[in-house]
Amino acid sequence: MNPMRVRHTFIRMNLRPRNQVVAVGLLGLMIVMIFAGVYLSQIASYATMSRQTDQLIEERDKLERSNELLRGEIAGLETIPRLLERAETLGFTPATSDDIRHLVVQGYNPNRARTVVPLDDETLGSQTAGYDETFSGWVQQQIDNLRRQFEGFGGSTP
Amino acid sequence: MTTAIRRERNPQQDLINRRLPFVVAFLVMIAFALLVKISSYQWLSPEREREIKLRGEQNVSSTRRLPAERGIIYDRGGQPLAFNTIQYEIGVSPNLITSDRKQTVATQLAVILGLDEFDLYQKLSTPNSLWQQIARPVNAEVGQQVADEEMFGVIINPLSKRFYPQGLLAGQLIGFVIEDNDNTRGALGVEESYNAQLAGRVVNQEIINVPFQLPIDQPIKSQHGTDLVLTIDRDVQFWVEYELQRAVAESGSDGGTIIVMDPRSGDVLAMASTPLFDPNNFGDYRANDLKNAAISNVYEPGSTMKVLTVAGALQSGAITPQWTYNDQGVFSIGGIDVKNWDRQAHGVTDVSTALSQSLNVGMATIATEMGQERFYTAMRSFGFGQRTGIDLPGEEAGILRMPGDSDWSESNLATNSFGQGVSITPLQMITAVSAIANDGLMMQPRIVRQIVNGDTVTNAQPMAIGRPISAVVAKEVTTMMLRAVAEEGGGVPLAQVPGYTIAGKTGTAEIPSPTGYESGTSIASFIGFFPADDPQVIILVKLDRPDEYWGSVVAAPVFKTLAERLVILLGIPTDDIRRQLQASGGRVNER
Repeated sequence: MNPMRVRHTFIRMNLRPRNQVVAVGLLGLMIVMIFAGVYLSQIASYATMSRQTDQLIEERDKLERSNELLRGEIAGLETIPRLLERAETLGFTPATSDDIRHLVVQGYNPNRARTVVPLDDETLGSQTAGYDETFSGWVQQQIDNLRRQFEGFGGSTP
Repeated sequence: MTTAIRRERNPQQDLINRRLPFVVAFLVMIAFALLVKISSYQWLSPEREREIKLRGEQNVSSTRRLPAERGIIYDRGGQPLAFNTIQYEIGVSPNLITSDRKQTVATQLAVILGLDEFDLYQKLSTPNSLWQQIARPVNAEVGQQVADEEMFGVIINPLSKRFYPQGLLAGQLIGFVIEDNDNTRGALGVEESYNAQLAGRVVNQEIINVPFQLPIDQPIKSQHGTDLVLTIDRDVQFWVEYELQRAVAESGSDGGTIIVMDPRSGDVLAMASTPLFDPNNFGDYRANDLKNAAISNVYEPGSTMKVLTVAGALQSGAITPQWTYNDQGVFSIGGIDVKNWDRQAHGVTDVSTALSQSLNVGMATIATEMGQERFYTAMRSFGFGQRTGIDLPGEEAGILRMPGDSDWSESNLATNSFGQGVSITPLQMITAVSAIANDGLMMQPRIVRQIVNGDTVTNAQPMAIGRPISAVVAKEVTTMMLRAVAEEGGGVPLAQVPGYTIAGKTGTAEIPSPTGYESGTSIASFIGFFPADDPQVIILVKLDRPDEYWGSVVAAPVFKTLAERLVILLGIPTDDIRRQLQASGGRVNER
């Protein structure tokens, strides 16, 4: 055995614990960075979603306001005096009893119950939202998000 | 050899060395003081703890009060009768507007809002002010103009404003809303009686001021008030109001009331009294003009009461449909002489003739045959002296003096039988007569048909409030009322609608005054329902102090005009067509 090599090994023995600490530290740092990345990606997606939600809320409010204005306008146009005026302009006159003709159709019930097609269970089931998320699914989702973000930085498209 | 190195003393170092203990001691004291202070936070009083917690929360979030949006009111056909429109409140935060922008902002706002520029500039210059109101309310167009300018520091808050698109239509039934900042309160009509449901729920929304902090989990439940679907038919209501105003003007009446009801369910299809008012501008009217006279003003009904006297007498067994009496033109009771409207004696007369010819003597005789107990039991069973319980505020119970009351006398028994000396509301009268139209079952009048809360629709079920007479008696009285319509006006029936059987009765009532009864004036009325064999609609027309005295002359033609319009609006076929339809299995006249 080469005495120099033995000596070198003994010298390295002193350094080994320090290397282990460094390795553990680096590993820890990597884990922290991964978690930080996931956290940041999560926060970034929240922020994006929040911005989108704000925009949607703003748009919804605007549409609701437009709706309110339109509803008022429509209601104003549909008042009976307006309708009467419009009908008169178009040449209509109020109907009298003499203008009404009733036809009797045997077996026809003018007030029959409305036919409503019942929804089957399958249709109902497909419309009902269910919670089906698993832990592995959630982890996969986070990884996919992270990957998309990194891909976004490089300007590449998946 | 040793060499002693003698260091020279540095005076600056000495100074530092001398002062250092003091500095250290000072810092230690400060640290100790801070430690004590920090420690003190561990043992806070609950009040102080709450205060600190609140201050902490205020640093990261703020609370915004979201005013509730009031529910919408629809007629039975889905036409909106009341809804909310957007208006705006314009304000500024003076501390967010820099000095060089104040003049520009004041000029822009003055142009858009039409306000004085100098006043605006003064508001913008208010020192250390977070908020100054500029204008409230402004309409949506103006609000949008201000928003489009995107002036930093100018704050636009949307406000919900109640709007009644039909104007005057059904104002007394709907009522109005009194707005006080973010709070609204219904006044009169369904706005008052259903205020709790319509008002919705004010929500305090937590707003997070710190970026990236997730909002506090607080599901904001619906703040929208419950929507109401009324029993009112907008078209019927319109024609009722139109005919009422025309009748009042043409007859020279002081005022009047018309009610249209479905006797089978108690649904009020229309109800109007003059003067009408526009709930959009309720402040322009006198308080007395805002009342719904159909439920809150009492009157002596006169001869329309006779159908109820006859019905009560038949039900109690005091008389039969074949009952007769000897009409001598005068009936003395309790110190008064009851006379017929024509001051004539009619000899031996049956009950049907007494009713169709509206003979006071006949009614007084019937009431006497019934006796006090049976007569007043019948009157109570028809709901007189008690509220009907309609879902509207301000209903009066009327006055029915009973034996034993200090102001009751024996003559009341006779006068009450033909509708004098008893005070009722128009709604009480139509509710009572509906029992005759509905096979003896008296339904509670109602104004709300459905309550809609999101996807949940609650149907208000028709409710019976009594059965004052049997179905047999109801049919007998209906037959008599048919005759009354056919024979009124000396053989020229003024209430008859061609093709339909109308059961009805006129009323001409004297008006009480502090000194007796007013001379030469009357309350002219007509109550009737059709088709008589399958009643769908009952109408009460009442005109106060018309130029023409008699109800048959003034009120009956109004009933006829209205009935002719209603058969078209409600799709009620003529009797022969209806019978053919029914014979072929069709269920007609369902709503």
